[in-house]
Amino acid sequence: MIIRGGIVYDPSNGIFGEEMDLFIDRGKMVEEARGEEIDASGLLVMPGGVDAHAHIAGKKVNTGRIMRPDDSRLGTEPRNGVCRPSTGYTVPNCYAMGYRYARMGYTTAFEAATPILEARHTHEELQEIPIIDKGALTLFGNNWQVMECVRDKDLSKLAAYVAWGLRSARGYGVKIVNPGGGESWGFGTNVKSVNDPVPNFDVTPAEIIRGLAQANELLHLPHSIHLHFNNLGKPGNYTTAIETLDLLKDIKPSRMRQVVHVAHMQFSAYGGTGWRDFESKAPVIADYFNSHNHATMDMGQLLFGSATTMTADAPLEYGNARLTHNKWSNHDIELEESSGVVPMIYSRKMLVNAVQWAVGLELALLVDDPWKVLMTTDHPNGSPFVNYPEVVTLLMSKPKRDAEMASMHEQLQKRTGLGEIQRELDWADIAIMTRAAPARILGLPDKGHLGPGADADITIYNLKPEELDTSQDHSLVKKAISTAMYTIKGGVVVSKDGKILCTPPGRAFWVDAAVPQADTDRLMPDLQEKFAKYYSIQLSNYAVQDAYLPHANVIRAGLSIEPLQEVA
Amino acid sequence: MRSIVIAPRNVFCISVEAENISPDRFAPLKIEEIKKLIVWQGNRQKILSDLFTVDGEDSPSKAEDMAIRLSGDFSNVKRIGEGMTSGAIEVQGSAGMHAGNHMSGGILSIAGNADDWLAREMLGGRVVVMGDAGNYVGAGYRGEKCGMRGGEIEVRGNAGAYLGEHLCGGSIRVGGNAGDFPGAANQGGTIFIGGSTYLPGAEMSKGTINVRGETKVLPSFQKMEIAQIDGTDYQKYLGDLLENGKGELFVGVAVP
Amino acid sequence: MSEATIIKDAICSFCGCLCDDIIVEVEGGKVQRARHACPLGSSKIMGHGRIESPMIRKDGELVESSFQEAYDRSAQILLQANKPLMYGWASTSCEAAEKGILLAEEVGAVIDSTATVCHGPSVIGIEEKGLPGATLGQVKNRADTIIFWGCNPAEAHPRHFRRYSSNSIGRFTPQGREGRKIIVVDVRATRTSRNADKFVRIDPGCDYEVISALRMLVAGKGDILPERVGGVLKADLAELAAMLKAARFGALFFGLGLTHSRGRYKNIDNALSLVAELNQHTKFVVLPMRGHYNVGGIGQTLAWSSGYPMSVDFTRGMPYFNPGETAACDLLARKDTDAALIIAADAASNFPRATAEALANIPVIQIDPYENPTTLLSDVVIPCAIAGVEVEGTAYRMDGLALRLRKMVDSSLPSDEEILMGILQSVRKQRQMMANEGA
Repeated sequence: MIIRGGIVYDPSNGIFGEEMDLFIDRGKMVEEARGEEIDASGLLVMPGGVDAHAHIAGKKVNTGRIMRPDDSRLGTEPRNGVCRPSTGYTVPNCYAMGYRYARMGYTTAFEAATPILEARHTHEELQEIPIIDKGALTLFGNNWQVMECVRDKDLSKLAAYVAWGLRSARGYGVKIVNPGGGESWGFGTNVKSVNDPVPNFDVTPAEIIRGLAQANELLHLPHSIHLHFNNLGKPGNYTTAIETLDLLKDIKPSRMRQVVHVAHMQFSAYGGTGWRDFESKAPVIADYFNSHNHATMDMGQLLFGSATTMTADAPLEYGNARLTHNKWSNHDIELEESSGVVPMIYSRKMLVNAVQWAVGLELALLVDDPWKVLMTTDHPNGSPFVNYPEVVTLLMSKPKRDAEMASMHEQLQKRTGLGEIQRELDWADIAIMTRAAPARILGLPDKGHLGPGADADITIYNLKPEELDTSQDHSLVKKAISTAMYTIKGGVVVSKDGKILCTPPGRAFWVDAAVPQADTDRLMPDLQEKFAKYYSIQLSNYAVQDAYLPHANVIRAGLSIEPLQEVA
Repeated sequence: MRSIVIAPRNVFCISVEAENISPDRFAPLKIEEIKKLIVWQGNRQKILSDLFTVDGEDSPSKAEDMAIRLSGDFSNVKRIGEGMTSGAIEVQGSAGMHAGNHMSGGILSIAGNADDWLAREMLGGRVVVMGDAGNYVGAGYRGEKCGMRGGEIEVRGNAGAYLGEHLCGGSIRVGGNAGDFPGAANQGGTIFIGGSTYLPGAEMSKGTINVRGETKVLPSFQKMEIAQIDGTDYQKYLGDLLENGKGELFVGVAVP
Repeated sequence: MSEATIIKDAICSFCGCLCDDIIVEVEGGKVQRARHACPLGSSKIMGHGRIESPMIRKDGELVESSFQEAYDRSAQILLQANKPLMYGWASTSCEAAEKGILLAEEVGAVIDSTATVCHGPSVIGIEEKGLPGATLGQVKNRADTIIFWGCNPAEAHPRHFRRYSSNSIGRFTPQGREGRKIIVVDVRATRTSRNADKFVRIDPGCDYEVISALRMLVAGKGDILPERVGGVLKADLAELAAMLKAARFGALFFGLGLTHSRGRYKNIDNALSLVAELNQHTKFVVLPMRGHYNVGGIGQTLAWSSGYPMSVDFTRGMPYFNPGETAACDLLARKDTDAALIIAADAASNFPRATAEALANIPVIQIDPYENPTTLLSDVVIPCAIAGVEVEGTAYRMDGLALRLRKMVDSSLPSDEEILMGILQSVRKQRQMMANEGA
């Protein structure tokens, strides 16, 4: 296949808006090819979108569906010759997720939080999501075995456990959510700072985070630790964010990438002592990212309207439910985690919500290097992913931001500096924040770019970047990027002008990290004891079987092998 | 007024879904076009004239000038008048489930009985049922926080359970008895029940429920003074205290 | 005779406990023993009264047929129907459920599970309030206070006490039963209440009021309560509320006694609020006692496929959900269905009599390993291999934990999944033929 004449943005290969032809052969980008031609003359062409942080599969997503028939009834589309039926807005069914990502030009999405014990369920749902490639990050931050290894300062055993956990969960990377807080929630409490000891385990969140970061680098994992801070969502939590980031600045990355990826930074960049003096501390956080190179973030942008909050930060969700008097689901996972789900309506008239909205945008606009900031909404916590085009246009258009702010609470100007920010992102920034950077941050060498050997995942938007003023014509931009003209996944046109043409199954990425047998041998007695005494299932029934990953893509890592080829 | 008469061609064993029977849908159409409106019977998509006869004035009109008469048995025809904003529907017999769903204006009158979910999530307008109504009159959809938000519903006979569940506004008047849990989670609507009921106002936070007959009252309601309404003595309660409720529940004091 | 094979850590596919420590002895292609299993599970695993061949009713008699004939006849029935019902699913794998959902979409059917006659009200309650729950291991390791409300695990879930609840031993519960307070609330004494430290007997149909009173007491508003609520003295309720608040980790397990007594989903709604409010004072979780081993799994599978966990109406090509209207018993009670496929459930015994009688008047397809009262009114009977004994697959425990069922022995019969695909292929073929004839 040949795509002719597009205006290509491929930041990983230093291509920023050049008119060029693209060649595809057997699902990969190549130097030359023949076959079907697509005329993309003058149109915006990018690699397929990569979502590095979304909640798209597993127990808490399904809990969201089950407790929200009011949401499922929205966005209903009947089946047709190609598609299964779609339902839902904030908690779409599996099929709708695949179709909606594809229509928007996204071809890869990663589920951000799965406990090992419930990974089987996550993969059941992932394999039902059509079209897109996917993976799932595995939760380690409240795991008994992790905390015991950290307490004993046994890094090699910890690394062996992380490798074993990833293999058992068929997981992609190390996710840490409110470390220590999830265990505390087992008896209804929480940790209040990174130095607050976790009850019964004689470790602190700081030690857990450092230990897992070290293990992560020892294992040469493609992705860094992926961290949801303590005190997330609380006024004044920016100090926790800075304190946590400082814990990690001396750790050497084992690959050409960050040492820590911060999930949905927006929720952790708050000032104030309570909701009354709640304010943005995005500038402080942005300064930190501008002056340090060990961390990346995703925005976790909040948009007004309906959302469903879902996170492994269970105490946060209980707080949300009490605050909003809304329905509350909680799910504690023995020996490993806790989690919660609460529906939410964000209102532009609510000052707190307006400040949260501004914080996300400030972060993305104040951090100079777009390679450090991913565009996300922490779907469906800040807003469902179908609203990414709204976020992109807000970042690209100062007039749009001004128009939005004019309709919000009058106090907003005093709580955030967003109004003074003149910066408007361009297509190069957007291509980085939605394609190149998420692929690099996740450690996916074949994603997010269009160089030879890359997966032929391509988006063609019905928009002429050389003719459109993205600042003024933001509504045209939003319309064009909401529905890709062509979405090509693995060399196949899967969506054209919003119509799904075919639904190939996506691949599931997971990381198999090798560790010395001696370390695993030291680990196994610990695990055997835990299963004999504490887990409610047998060790032999624990790991996810291969039957749940019919289209697996295994990435090798580990102590005993050389680091893989770095991302360009 | 433009008058249209719809009558079933036969008895429906499998229920029919006919949300297109509505003044808003009919108004801009000629009779031949109305006949081609989609209705569903189970998994079979049909047109209105497959299942019903359609007669009346041919020339299009405004919705507010529409008067639709449903002649015959419509007790197995669902979603009559869904989303109607004005005009009138007169059901001469009984109506199936979800009559007047989401309606925001106009009048829906039912000479016989109404099935479950009458005027679910109603926004405005008026519904009158001469016979009985089923469960969930003026209630919300599953999982929603809000049911009816405005308008008036009058049921001359009895109503089923969960009357006005999640009521957020408007008023419901039942001449006879109501089933269990009327006005649950009421957030500001008004309910009058002429007869008896059981456990009214569970988790209500605002609004008023008035029960003329007998009822069991939840232990989370605080007994207040005797109040006189329209010359009748009522025992007043405040509740539901579990929701820090400011709702008012009045229960008729039996005349010895 | 072949040597006996031992299968360790096999999963019992009887009830929602999904005990996964069963040691199965297989000899001569048959399960000879299922160690660790309770009598209920053991009898399931050992098998009984199997249907041996597909059958189609001809002139009033069930006559043996080939599988293909049975698939074709089933497809014909489903295609002719305006509103087919596909009911059951609680005792088969999620993989079979997925195929069933696809079939329901393609023929425009209503699909519903046995939840409709057990924990359907719990689902509606969860839609109102959410479910503050936990895995069973969390209860085992932490719970010092457990309430069983309207359920009788001593008889219905025999290994629940020892594996997960009152008698289990975990990290923070080293004393097991001795270290726990067990409370039973029910309308009558049961074998479960005999195990209790405190048994609260309430009047039938008064669960909602009793829960409201407990919520008042937990919130410190007990002063306005009457002296007796639901047949229980206020002092007794106050003592119960104090026990709940004093828990370090509390767990409320509830069963059909709560879901099917007067108040139904409102009872669950209220219980969920009680648990949410207890979390302001201590840690508390709530779990439904699910009966059939994979009734949770069909709910999960339906939810991720369609957005809704039960009672999904696909007749108009897109999922519509409204229990009270789209549940199996609603359709049957209103005679609003004209064909039924019953799989992995005994509808004729599950439903109230009048509802079950409606089944007798419409064509019925049964897919089941066992003969049961539904067989007697079926027009097509298709025997299947037993999921979880003869076929691998996924099941969800009562706490929502997914486990992979093991295959213990071979079967010459097709799996539920294969049968459903056989019917689906026949549906597609017949539809193609009709389209060709139409053209």
